[in-house]
Amino acid sequence: MQRTRWLMLLAAMGLIAVACGGGSSSTTVDGGVVSTTGAGGTSAGGCFGLTPEEGATIVFSGWGDETEQQVYRDSIARFNEACPDVTVDYQPVPADFQTQMKAAFAGGEGPDIIYVDDQLMTALGLTGQLLPLDDYMAQAGVTREEFIPSLLTIFTVDDQTYALPKDWGTLGLIYLPEVIEAAGIEAPTGDWTWADLRTAAQAIADNTDVGGFCQGADWARLAPWAFSHGGSFTNAAATEATLTDGGVIQAATIVADMKEEGSLVTASDVGATWCGEAIGRKLVGMTLEGGWMVNFMNTDYPDVEWSAVSIPAGPEGKADVIFTNGIGVNAATEFPNAAAAFTLFVTGRENQAAITETGFAYPTREDQLNLITNENDQAISEGGTYDLSLVSYWGPNTGRVNDAVSKALERIFLGEQDVEAAFQQAEEEAQLALDEAA
Amino acid sequence: MVSRATRTRRRGPNTRVRNETIVAYLFLSPYLLVTAVFTVGIIAFALYISFTSYNLFESPTWVGLDNYRRALGDTGGFLRSLGNIVLYVVIVVPLQTGIALMLASILNKPVRGQKFFRTVFYGPSVTSSVVIASIFLWLYLKTGIINYLFDQTFSLFGAQWTAIEWLNDPRGLFQLIANAFGGDIASEQWYFRGPSVTWLAVMALNIFTTAPTFMIIYLAALQDVPPPLHEAAAIDGANRWQQFWYITLPMLRPVTLLIVVLGTIGAFQVFDQVQFLTAGGPLNTTLTPVYLVYGEALGVLGGGSVIRMGLASAMAFLLAVIIFIFTFIQRRYIESGTERY
Repeated sequence: MQRTRWLMLLAAMGLIAVACGGGSSSTTVDGGVVSTTGAGGTSAGGCFGLTPEEGATIVFSGWGDETEQQVYRDSIARFNEACPDVTVDYQPVPADFQTQMKAAFAGGEGPDIIYVDDQLMTALGLTGQLLPLDDYMAQAGVTREEFIPSLLTIFTVDDQTYALPKDWGTLGLIYLPEVIEAAGIEAPTGDWTWADLRTAAQAIADNTDVGGFCQGADWARLAPWAFSHGGSFTNAAATEATLTDGGVIQAATIVADMKEEGSLVTASDVGATWCGEAIGRKLVGMTLEGGWMVNFMNTDYPDVEWSAVSIPAGPEGKADVIFTNGIGVNAATEFPNAAAAFTLFVTGRENQAAITETGFAYPTREDQLNLITNENDQAISEGGTYDLSLVSYWGPNTGRVNDAVSKALERIFLGEQDVEAAFQQAEEEAQLALDEAA
Repeated sequence: MVSRATRTRRRGPNTRVRNETIVAYLFLSPYLLVTAVFTVGIIAFALYISFTSYNLFESPTWVGLDNYRRALGDTGGFLRSLGNIVLYVVIVVPLQTGIALMLASILNKPVRGQKFFRTVFYGPSVTSSVVIASIFLWLYLKTGIINYLFDQTFSLFGAQWTAIEWLNDPRGLFQLIANAFGGDIASEQWYFRGPSVTWLAVMALNIFTTAPTFMIIYLAALQDVPPPLHEAAAIDGANRWQQFWYITLPMLRPVTLLIVVLGTIGAFQVFDQVQFLTAGGPLNTTLTPVYLVYGEALGVLGGGSVIRMGLASAMAFLLAVIIFIFTFIQRRYIESGTERY
């Protein structure tokens, strides 16, 4: 009797293990593999000027929540209309994507096509793990000039293109009209300067019981301030840290003063986890956030009325920070043509237009920006078109350089150091990171 | 003649011993093989890697002692992480051992619902550390329940509690004490600041999860203490406290050694709570050696950096040496006492 029970328990555990193991792989089969059989008349030769290998099955991996996964499942379906002979096995990895990809590539088991960000560009792009796409682009008639120029900075090494941008984002000024009204000030416009922002933030802090302007100790939020004051985190070649060269210090000083005078609050000051949430919960009047606010507010705070205008201008004009991720091909893929064809299609004009229509992301070509329909998205995305706008990419140790800036802001906000001392230290840390990357 | 007889007589048992040895090794061989390949082999490889510059994809290049020099220099954060981890060990190990012994002693008494309490106390240990960490993520919020409880308690006495951002507060313990007396400790002298509020919060979480594991070990050991010893002591007039101090505690010495050693090694290697709750922040006050090793090995420090497997391996070896030294000292200290009994 006793033994039977143990056996049953063991059997049950075995079943659970099988169910769990099977579960993950069947997801891939159900939701991932989109293969079209017999549909579409395109022969193997007509796949964007490339000739996919016979019977090519390519694995495509990226991060992303359910919304993003659906966007890419739809993209795969569209791709298969044009190239029916290529089977795309979509294997999304929602968490720890970069770590998993580094391990997979190190073990020679990397997917054929992956999302590429600055971290993966450093780990894989600079070590020959990614396929240069320039020859395939030439065959397919895709040029680098089509893209918004700064989007290619991360993915270009020695004039070779290792990935193509899949979408991008930037920051705009987000505000709550009712708070602006309660403070008795005029609504923000695209003509605002940082000084206007500061005055308005002070008015909100003085006249209402919510915070004025929300900004954390975050390099990405300081970047538009710094760039529009003529500053940059490093020189163009990413060899010298330039965190004490005027622009950055000027910008940081204003931010620090605002924090000091109380017109600037951090999300945790008002009991939120990030500034977007602080807007949703009506804890602050204004903040800098990006296109993700549209979906976030629709889902989490559908009743809160909010608005966006383009980022305020500094003494040197308007400047914004650009975030972008690309799609690249494993250099060791068995099916380079099929993988390149898929990459070119997903990042291509037609698919970008279709993705833009869903409101999920901004298109990577400037002449397609007019396809953005949401007003707030239109205002925010203007940030991508300024001459001074930059992708915050500073070579292989980008993360550490940016992190040095965030830590400096953290020390300033905590009252540990003044602006000069904090950025002096940050410059040393950033310089070390740049030297070690060289 | 005699000598031959002896030899013949000797050969029998010798052959048997040899045969038994061979059989034993045969039985051990699967394990030994796996250990040789997946433990000893890997460690040897890591030792080699620690003398090279290696990014996982290009072949390693020999750099001699550079990685060790860099790890022990003041820029890489390794010394900082060692400082943090020593504070951690010094605070966590005694507390978790003490709490484990206390819980075990309570459970060793024939109380009503003993089994129920045993299960409840053991709960935190069987729960995945990531799950526990995510629960504490909520408890530790500025608007979370811990601040709420402090607030309620303080207001009972008419005092005001300022909500603390538990997981993002780099102020050190000694710095707070200095602040209370109107002084301060500069950030350059971080080593005088003591553990940060956030670090203490992580420690509390860790004690909460590991103490019950050691409680079970203590409980088993307590049940092995022969009752006659206590009875004899009682007859001699020893009170309960004296019995505990002079009989139970010395009897538990070998187990205490085990628990302290295991606890120390575990504390030196703390990783998942840091990865999940603080990522080494705020201001590096919760940076630990293992987290740093992970960050350098996979190039994920500060949101992305160059992969430095060599530096990571060097740090791992330095950590191993330090753990070894600590364990050795503890062994000598605690065992020297054991031998008297």
